[in-house]
Amino acid sequence: MNATPGHAPVKSIIPKWVRNPQEFVGGIALMAIAVFALWASSDLQGMRGFSFGAGTAPRMFGFLLLGLGALITVVGVVTEGPHLAKYHWRGPFFVTVAILTFAFTIRPMGMIFAAMAAFLIAACGSPETRWTETLIVAVCLTAFCALLFPYALGLPLQLLPTFMIR
Amino acid sequence: MGDVFSNLGLGFGVVFQFVQWTPAFLGGASIPIPVNILLCLIGALVGTLVGVLPGIGTIATVAMLLPITFGLPPVGALIMLAGIYYGAQYGGSTTSILVNIPGEAGSVVTALDGFQMAKKGRAGPALAIAAIGSFFAGCVATVLIALLGAPLTKIALAFGPAEYFSLMVLGLIFAVVLAKGSVLKAIAMIVMGLLLSMVGSDIETGASRMAFNIPELADGLGFATLAMGLFGFAEIIRNLDAGGETDRKLVQEKVSGLMPTRQDLKETAPAILRGTGLGSILGILPGGGAVIASFAAYTLEKKVAKDPSKFGHGEIRGVAAPESANNAAAQTSFIPLLTLGIPPNAVMALMVGAMTIHGIVPGPQVMQKQPELVWGMIASMWVGNLMLLIINLPLVGIWVRLLRVPYRLMFPSIVVFCCIGIYSVNNAPTDVMIAGAFGLVGYWLIKHDFEPAPLLLGMVLGPLMEENLRRALLISRGDWSVFLTRPLSAVLMAIAAALLILAVLPSLRKKRDEVFVESEN
Repeated sequence: MNATPGHAPVKSIIPKWVRNPQEFVGGIALMAIAVFALWASSDLQGMRGFSFGAGTAPRMFGFLLLGLGALITVVGVVTEGPHLAKYHWRGPFFVTVAILTFAFTIRPMGMIFAAMAAFLIAACGSPETRWTETLIVAVCLTAFCALLFPYALGLPLQLLPTFMIR
Repeated sequence: MGDVFSNLGLGFGVVFQFVQWTPAFLGGASIPIPVNILLCLIGALVGTLVGVLPGIGTIATVAMLLPITFGLPPVGALIMLAGIYYGAQYGGSTTSILVNIPGEAGSVVTALDGFQMAKKGRAGPALAIAAIGSFFAGCVATVLIALLGAPLTKIALAFGPAEYFSLMVLGLIFAVVLAKGSVLKAIAMIVMGLLLSMVGSDIETGASRMAFNIPELADGLGFATLAMGLFGFAEIIRNLDAGGETDRKLVQEKVSGLMPTRQDLKETAPAILRGTGLGSILGILPGGGAVIASFAAYTLEKKVAKDPSKFGHGEIRGVAAPESANNAAAQTSFIPLLTLGIPPNAVMALMVGAMTIHGIVPGPQVMQKQPELVWGMIASMWVGNLMLLIINLPLVGIWVRLLRVPYRLMFPSIVVFCCIGIYSVNNAPTDVMIAGAFGLVGYWLIKHDFEPAPLLLGMVLGPLMEENLRRALLISRGDWSVFLTRPLSAVLMAIAAALLILAVLPSLRKKRDEVFVESEN
């Protein structure tokens, strides 16, 4: 976010002739996505006479994205621009783990467990977390969700672990 | 003219509908309850509540609250969603004025003068003028929708597949031209959205496309799932990066003296009028919506003002104009959705998602077959605006207190809430994982200066575009010139091409960038 041109990072895998690394890498990634989409839709039927097959539109847009990605990459070489923004691992990591934990525990363990676990894991994502208040808020929020979703809104959510229901 | 009144009458009839409620504890006595008004009120309240939380924009708010409307009948659900939408917008302006954190792109400009006013102890008048301006804009926009709704629907019925396709191309080009940043990147995002929309089974042949035999992907990627990942999770991760706590300085002075002075009202009246006019027009244009409207209104106000140097230092007109414009645009952007079935921006795209869940396919047919639904929603917009005006002014104190909740406690709550929300759409854990993955994708996009909003728009328009393209070419027996030989379609295509050329011309590009740079000074 704070990357300003002129402040070169000490080590960079991007070659020197790339003057706008943000665009350059972005363009290459788009091209990769396009190639992947083209590969994934390669087994689909193409044009039949003048009518579209299932694979025509995906291929059309795949090639379009490939071209656009290439253009952006070229722009990244010929224009001046900011360096790659710095990535932090802590926030993304713990938030992702929290989401995955929720996804894997909601069915077998029920909402109360899943929500608590997701809350506490996500809280690890910030260095500012203080555990006593976090615990209190986690309990309150879980209780609130347990009342709101199944009762107030009538959504079919299972609250307790499956083994406790049987 | 008579039509308009009877339609609006029908709408207000739906909104003010009373349902007899016979609770057991009253022993058979029944109480009439204005269900739809209550839903509108709850929607506006909850929308503001979530919209006030910094770091959650309008799109994320609507996506997050989508599940709470699932259990309702369609009319009620749409009325509530509309309420949530305005509430979220109003909440966004509240945070921009009080803490200089615009909850969403649309209220970035409001923060320029609004926060300066708050620093001078005039937060009250700033908030009041924002609400009054929004209400006025809402009234005008409601009438406008009622006036334009029926005639546009008639035009829409004359549209063939070729015209529809051209119109969507035009809409996407508009979105590109009006978007912030690089035109090339915006187009790339739209194409990526189009590609993502093709995941799942093909409409005509039923062939499974890019689904890798994963059963959850067979139906395609869910819209709410994607929106929640790209806007909800990605924002959280980004905010964690920025170190949530440091840049949140609160206005510590008590918000006092809520009412604007007579002088304020006199000064802002023309600004509100101009903002409303500009916003209404920009809202109807596909790809426009609230963001561009507020930027344009602010720029216009600065151009007309006798003393432009006051702007940026707590000029009340700098709050009134963008706030009116943004609300007018938010509302008129329902016009293309309700009449043509084409969502002009990402929030409307979510509305389409909500309608589809309730089994409604937006478009001219809805207007004719379910008039009570469309007109009820239009009437509820006006009621919703009135409620925002009534509830928000007294509740400002509560919203301010809410802002004091530290981010370290808020973000895990948002994560959990989003997870439960996504899961409840289909009761599918896979959806939650997909949203998580798109959260990371969204984070990467933000880091590389790609805007996720055009992606979402491409994702919504994808199936419609493909269907109409295929149909148009089938009818023309594979002749691509059909888009240029049918007069209506040719006009739309010509406008689209002209716009695109204009957008890449250096002189206009500079102008466009200037409008957006305003916010960074």
